[in-house]
Amino acid sequence: MNGELPTREVLWNVTHVWIMYVLLVPTLLIAGYGFYRRFRLWRRGRPAQRFDQPWKRLELVFRHAVIQQATWKQRFAGFFHALIFWGMIVLTIATTVVFIHHDFGLPIMQGQFYLWFQSLTVDIFGALTILGLGLAASRRWFFCLRDAVSNNTKSANVVELSLPNNKLRPLSQLVHSWEASLILIFLLVILISGFLLEGWRIAATNDPWGMWSPFGYMVAMLSKSWMSVAAMQSAHVVTWWLHMGLVFGFLAWAPYTKLVHPVTAVLNLYTAPLTPIGASLRAIDFDNDESLGVNSLAGFTWKDLLDLDACTECGRCTAVCPANTVGKLLSPRDVILDLQHLSHTRDDFSMSIIDATPALSPEALWACTTCGACVEACPVSIAQMPKIIDMRRHLAMEEAVLPDTMETAIGSLEARGHPYAGTQFSRLDWTKGLQVPQLADVQECEVLLWVGCGGALVERNQRVTRAMAQLLEKAGVRYAILGREEKCTGDPARRMGNEFLFQNLARENIATLQRYHVKTVVTACPHCFNTIRNEYPELGGEFEVLHHSQFLERLVSEGKLSPNAQSEAKVTFHDPCYLGRQNKIFDAPRQLIQISVRPASIEMEKSRENSFCCGGGGGMSFVDEPANQRVNRERARQVLATGADVVAVGCPFCMTMLEDGVTAVQASDLSARPTKVLDVAELLWDAVRDE
Amino acid sequence: MTSVVISCVFTWTGIDRAALGVLGAGQRLAQELSGRHTILILGSPSDDLVAEVARFADCVQVMSDPMLANYHSETTLTALTEACRQLNPAVILLGNDSYCQEMAPRLAHRLKGSATGDALSLKAEGEAVLVTRSVYGGKALATFALRRKPAVIWVRARAYDPARPQDASAEIVHMQLKIEEDQRVVLIDRQTQPQDAARLEDARVIVSGGRGLGGPEPFTHLQSLASAMGAQVAASRAACDAGWVPAGWQVGQTGKKVAPELYLAIAISGASQHIMGIADAKTIAAINLDPDAPIFHHCQFGLVDDYRKVVGPLREKIIELLA
Amino acid sequence: MNIVVCLKQILDPEMPSRDFRIDAATREADRGTAGLVMNIFCANALETALQFREQHGGKITVVAFGTSSAEEILRKALALRVDTAVLVQHDFAQRPNPWVAARVLAATIRKLGDFDIILTGRESGDWGDGQTGGLLAEEFSWPCVSFADQLNTDATKPGLVKIRRQTDQGSETVEANVPLVITVTNNDQNVPRIAKTRDVMQAFRQPLTNWSLADIGLDKQSLEECLTGTEVVELTIPIKQAHCELVTGETLEERIAGLAQRIVAVVQSA
Repeated sequence: MNGELPTREVLWNVTHVWIMYVLLVPTLLIAGYGFYRRFRLWRRGRPAQRFDQPWKRLELVFRHAVIQQATWKQRFAGFFHALIFWGMIVLTIATTVVFIHHDFGLPIMQGQFYLWFQSLTVDIFGALTILGLGLAASRRWFFCLRDAVSNNTKSANVVELSLPNNKLRPLSQLVHSWEASLILIFLLVILISGFLLEGWRIAATNDPWGMWSPFGYMVAMLSKSWMSVAAMQSAHVVTWWLHMGLVFGFLAWAPYTKLVHPVTAVLNLYTAPLTPIGASLRAIDFDNDESLGVNSLAGFTWKDLLDLDACTECGRCTAVCPANTVGKLLSPRDVILDLQHLSHTRDDFSMSIIDATPALSPEALWACTTCGACVEACPVSIAQMPKIIDMRRHLAMEEAVLPDTMETAIGSLEARGHPYAGTQFSRLDWTKGLQVPQLADVQECEVLLWVGCGGALVERNQRVTRAMAQLLEKAGVRYAILGREEKCTGDPARRMGNEFLFQNLARENIATLQRYHVKTVVTACPHCFNTIRNEYPELGGEFEVLHHSQFLERLVSEGKLSPNAQSEAKVTFHDPCYLGRQNKIFDAPRQLIQISVRPASIEMEKSRENSFCCGGGGGMSFVDEPANQRVNRERARQVLATGADVVAVGCPFCMTMLEDGVTAVQASDLSARPTKVLDVAELLWDAVRDE
Repeated sequence: MTSVVISCVFTWTGIDRAALGVLGAGQRLAQELSGRHTILILGSPSDDLVAEVARFADCVQVMSDPMLANYHSETTLTALTEACRQLNPAVILLGNDSYCQEMAPRLAHRLKGSATGDALSLKAEGEAVLVTRSVYGGKALATFALRRKPAVIWVRARAYDPARPQDASAEIVHMQLKIEEDQRVVLIDRQTQPQDAARLEDARVIVSGGRGLGGPEPFTHLQSLASAMGAQVAASRAACDAGWVPAGWQVGQTGKKVAPELYLAIAISGASQHIMGIADAKTIAAINLDPDAPIFHHCQFGLVDDYRKVVGPLREKIIELLA
Repeated sequence: MNIVVCLKQILDPEMPSRDFRIDAATREADRGTAGLVMNIFCANALETALQFREQHGGKITVVAFGTSSAEEILRKALALRVDTAVLVQHDFAQRPNPWVAARVLAATIRKLGDFDIILTGRESGDWGDGQTGGLLAEEFSWPCVSFADQLNTDATKPGLVKIRRQTDQGSETVEANVPLVITVTNNDQNVPRIAKTRDVMQAFRQPLTNWSLADIGLDKQSLEECLTGTEVVELTIPIKQAHCELVTGETLEERIAGLAQRIVAVVQSA
């Protein structure tokens, strides 16, 4: 060891190495073709603008492709993925070092660098990679199988499984799961054989620095005890060619499997939407667009097609999907994977995609509540929900076929400007007994209170609107309502796929708001909030829009409202999807609860961006679901499990859905506590009103 | 004496409660107009039926022909027209069953008179007949003056007090008219639906149960109450969802929209989604244990009590009163 | 077969009762903030025609007799791809009664040509006379089958249609010679379809024939004779009992008896 430079002989014991270099050519060609084919496929999509704000985009890539923030959300998977990820990076660097050292003749693989990095670090990371692969295999081969056999799709154990809906087993999915197992086996064999090669070399050459590669050294010691040097040399040669063959084979094959995701995920993260989920939908240009909605691969943009190829098949989207959780046919993962399969196997991109597989059936598509949990959960930034809406648009506008009760709601929107067919209320009934200024009378206001259809026409929600009006009055806010001039913002129409009706309603509302020179809009409905704030600008209407919780919180902090008394109650807050996850507003309603109620509110397990939908979005408020597939009942169960006296909400749909759900669950379980559902405005009004 | 008022009775309905209502209206209107009330019985009546009918007027005109035994949109109308032309009345009254509704305007047109229907009340005023009826889905009441004779009016028969039998016996005249069958329309088939399978949307009386019933068995009690009332049974969504009753029984925003004369809601809380399905009901009544239940905001009358104690005795009492 | 469907535009029947107002002078409903919609039974009739044309071919013409606003419902029909749309406009202060409507529609249809079937709704959601169909049949001396919910024809039996109609006891099936008038009622088979968006957009570019009474050879005077037969002398809004009368009584028996009496009173007049 003295005076000798630490290094090792590259390609020890291997002859005819030229074969390796020759085989590199087809490997790279096949791999290259794999990438090229995908790239060509993406180019068949429609245009999209995804290259603005490069620094923000790079930040996204850094956060999710390098630091892997999103993957880490599930600890177990995040852990073993990090092991594999960093392990493979280190191993790749190590191989590059060998390449530079041996083929370029730059003698870098020697000395302290060789000992500390190329030997020790690489060995440790190699072992960690095997550990990671082993954990991944245990999840796939043991835990998943165990739960599939026992039909447990909601495993609460530590491995956080993402099982696809068992009703959907298209051939592509079976192929994918075989493929995934094969990938694991491939990588394990490659890595284990790598250690064997190292160990046998260390043993056979009496490598003086062998101990710097601890795991290779262990292999060496173990082998020495039962193998002769000659045997090790023979084994080494065979294993070397096996190892090389597997590596090259893997490199050639990977771009055709989900292992392309290191590349496609990075591309997908770079081109990801920079706007909140609530602003995901794009308007259709009815004068110029060729098709209304999407019913073919050609109808998608190149970004949508890239989305399909970025999918790592992790299944988190389906695991968090509320429709899937209650047993409906919808599985966001299968939507993406089936579309991916179609994009790879079809030549004709104009062929119909809706109903091409069970996951793409109208039944599945109409089950979506548009909550966006799938989009939020995806670690590689795929947009599943907007694609579902794209296909709904085709069904609603090109084929004019929707579920019956949705058709009724659409008909009511067209005839009356609200979706509540059969209501006997008019938009001003809730004002009875209150002095509520109407914009038609006062002509201008500081703040426009946008009541919304739910707030005006559904009896339970009228109480919330009244509380809101009384709070504004008490705070001395110069507000007004549109009253009869208010029409539905169009959110239900848009979510049900009728973009035409949405734009008509939106343009009418924008014209009304502009006629009165409205600057600030406050609304108690997150759907109205999201639509006016994020969707009206594209149609020419820009206003400052606040959710009532934000505005009320502001009034309290400005001293215009102060609580006289706090009530004692255990309160939990149900984050509305369109306020929380889709617009990142979580704190304002919680602050209101803190102001109004004494003990700190309880956080539900699924809260904030992981909140579980009440089931009312996407037009689902207007649909009659089968009794055993009610999203709101599932959420009600979660609410009741907290033991709270009150569940606070901030949305008229959540209000009705949760009241319904809580009553239903309580009816079948008489021991359940009488939990009340209250809006945060109602809680605040109770706290600030004079008795 | 020419008949001032003709009340029409058809052999396929006979003298049911509706017919008695028509005859009662005819009696009273004829008196108001100081004229003769004649009953026109059309079809293929038996002698007994004619005798039965004869109790209610001074004159009975019998338009009998085997060809008229069953309703036929053209033949029956032609016969009726001819009969009325001969009798030349000022007013012709019919019931509000679907056949009469179909014939009445056409009859009026052929006789160059005037027509209106679903009359809630009738009154003579000089030469005209004033008819009051519900319009705009029940939101308004309109009074029409029918000035051109004959005034053909179909009445909401069951809303009228039944005819009173007369002391004197009626003159019975058998009309001699040649009827020709109109071949342009031919009856192929007639399907009678059992009472409970008829459409809820058309039901005149509905008894409906909700979550408070707690299970499927109480619905059988509601069934017997409904039978006693001549009603159909429906349910709120909660009961349908719980699987206690078929989904087709559901009334509400996402269910059937019904428009009965009476909707009796038993153990139904009255959530607005349910109310949306019964907004067109003329009268809503409720039995509910909870005096604060929203259903009471929408009723005309109700009872705050445990339905279990009420339904059985209520049924008995109703049978007693209807007999 | 050539079908003409008569469509009527009416005040939205789902407007809340609280908002319903009357103009006592004209004895008409006040439009107020309510929308105007196609009468639902007319829409059922249109759907029946569309299904018939899908299966048996032919042409569909839609005719509306109303004020200029009635163009809206004709555009809706054009969005469902009817072949021809005709509006006969009037500017009467009071809505025309069914006799006037039947006279006008008959004149319009005669001017348009020969038809095999005239479809109307069974009644309208506003005044609900239910007479127009029958009167129209009389204008032509054609048969009339009412409350139909199914319409069919057989290629082997030209000139005949098979109609299923609802009756108080259930239903009847009749076979009838064309031409005739059929009034349509609703069932779960003739729920009006919604239009495809492209068809809605192109509907506004479709030709729509616009006639005045003079164009069809009528004038107010010739219609007067129809008008004076029936006159609306009063229109009121009945005062609805807002509160619920809870049956009282010392004993349960008394209360049940009271409830039974109220129930029987209503049931007997149904």
